[in-house]
Amino acid sequence: MEQKLLIVDDEAHIRMLIGQTLEELEDEGVNFFTAENGEQALEIIQAEKPRLVFLDVMMPKMNGMEVCRRVKKELGLNDVFIVLLTAKGQELDRQKGQEVGADVYMTKPFDPEKILEKAREVLQLQN
Amino acid sequence: MTKLSLKSILSKKNETVFILTSLMERLNAGIWIEDDTGNTLLGTRAEAYKVEHMIKVDNDLIGVVKGDEEANIIAAVLDLSIKKEAEKRKLGSEVLNLYQEINLIYNFSERLAQTIDAPTISEITLEEAGRVINSNSGVVILWDESTERLKVLASSGELFFVEEKLYSELRLLSKILLSGQSEIITDVSALSGAGVLLPEVKSVIYSALKVNKRTMGAIILSSNEFVQYTAADLKLLTTLALQSSAAIESALLYEKNLREAKEREEAMRLVYEATGKFVPYEFIGSLGHNVITDVRLGDQVEKIVTVLFSDIRDYTSLSERMSPEENFKFVCSFNERMGPAIRRHRGFINQYLGDAIMAIFPHNAEDALLAAIEMQKEVQDLNKIRISNDQIPIQMGVGMHTGPLIMGITGDENRMDATTISDTVNIASRLESLTKHYSVNIILSDSSLKQIEQKEGFHLRSLGLVQLKGKREAVEIHECFDSNTLPDMEKKLSTLAAFNEGVSFFLNKSFHEANLAFKRVVDTDPSDHTAKFFYRNSRKIIDEGVFENGAGIVAMHEK
Repeated sequence: MEQKLLIVDDEAHIRMLIGQTLEELEDEGVNFFTAENGEQALEIIQAEKPRLVFLDVMMPKMNGMEVCRRVKKELGLNDVFIVLLTAKGQELDRQKGQEVGADVYMTKPFDPEKILEKAREVLQLQN
Repeated sequence: MTKLSLKSILSKKNETVFILTSLMERLNAGIWIEDDTGNTLLGTRAEAYKVEHMIKVDNDLIGVVKGDEEANIIAAVLDLSIKKEAEKRKLGSEVLNLYQEINLIYNFSERLAQTIDAPTISEITLEEAGRVINSNSGVVILWDESTERLKVLASSGELFFVEEKLYSELRLLSKILLSGQSEIITDVSALSGAGVLLPEVKSVIYSALKVNKRTMGAIILSSNEFVQYTAADLKLLTTLALQSSAAIESALLYEKNLREAKEREEAMRLVYEATGKFVPYEFIGSLGHNVITDVRLGDQVEKIVTVLFSDIRDYTSLSERMSPEENFKFVCSFNERMGPAIRRHRGFINQYLGDAIMAIFPHNAEDALLAAIEMQKEVQDLNKIRISNDQIPIQMGVGMHTGPLIMGITGDENRMDATTISDTVNIASRLESLTKHYSVNIILSDSSLKQIEQKEGFHLRSLGLVQLKGKREAVEIHECFDSNTLPDMEKKLSTLAAFNEGVSFFLNKSFHEANLAFKRVVDTDPSDHTAKFFYRNSRKIIDEGVFENGAGIVAMHEK
């Protein structure tokens, strides 16, 4: 089955960085999608049902927390693995993340190796 | 960066694929695209082809466009989009590299912020540097100003230099290490030749550790292979060095401060100990302070305490027979015995007044009484030695009284003294001087006795009332004979009933009866000088028929 991955961030360079970090997965057949705000992300998630979403928290329109809540709580898409990305120094409390159903937390600036590791783990791709 | 794959580009539903398929349809020619292994990716393969166009990225073949003449058009379009894709990837890769560098420095700073110990900071620096810069070993070397030597602060991997050479080859090394430069040493022969570096070392890169333009040392990485270190490596090492040198400097300052603080504390402790020998801690503590330096003029505290006074009887005549030096030695050896007896019972010596001692017992009178008994026993021990040395035995009187006491600091700003101001002290002192008249070892006032819970534990007898000079109220006093010799104690116990009877007759102004009672005591025990004293006095009152201060009170005017 074709694996899909979504990168959501309002900052273009972060989208590019995550994409570049995960570049080798694209060559292994993973299909990449990107969204620059929460609303767009929600549309893509509903249409494409990606296996993995890297979701920034601080975004205009609909923030990552809300996107996560809708996906997990309202749409019940539990097969969508959501990695919440928060800026260092603005870490949200874990409880809030758990409430909206996020699977994992990561902080920016992120460690590229860890992002790749997590993606491989979720997509079950061997290195 | 992974090699660009033509397959992955053409397998996606993107614009390039859309344009290529549309074009191929319109051109209606036999054209197909193969990857570098000959698999057809787009179009329909035919047996023969006129045109064969190689698709390359940085001289790497990634695929071929084959077919009729029109294949050149397809190839041109593909070339263009591949070129764009390659550029995008290259840019992305560069940005990612930069980002990784930022991430490294970020993590590095974060780790540094968590430690305040110079060797650990150096270890972290070596670890992070070794992660990104190709090397086998590393070392952080510091210039120690106090010893004027180079010092290894931390090292990683196997040792790549001879440590003794750090001291002997200082001239050579200081040019390199302490010049404040950061460099790549491609030719290590000078260092290997001098025996500083081990022969297997092939490449070295180093950066100075500097704070405010002052070079404090260097971080050095080495490799046993020929490594072509780049300007980027050097830049990164310099960045790490810059951050860690500031952290190392702070850590060293912190250590120094800590060390100095400890030394100051130790000095203070010594002062504290020394002053404690002159002014008791209990005294300072009672004033609510921890150290004597906190004590201020006018500090004072009032407390109910028991004051104990001891004095060697007829010391003046005793001391006349001694040289000043012998005198001093005697007082010292005497006080050495008394001090511990007082401290053992939670008392503290407020003052040594030659052969006299004034001690304060802040907890209860029982402590003071136990101390008094022990002090008397010490005197007996001392006397045994004195007798064996053909010296006259000494006698000591102890008086004690319980009451309020003000401890405070008096004097002026330049000369302060710990002083006790209290009537309690005066009374205790006067009770001590009474011991001679009554021929007893220990006298305690009634207020002291009232504070003693276990009265049965002591051998006591009442000595009636005394009117002390300058005092309106008479004081009831008691003798404690626990420190007397065993035969003496037994005798006093056997006459105790008669003695007590005598004292109560005396207090009730029944002097004839009192006189008779004391006569009985003296007849039984002629060595009881206390009974003799009462016997004599009751006789005197009967014969002379006068009382100085009212009924039943022995007036004492001495001292």
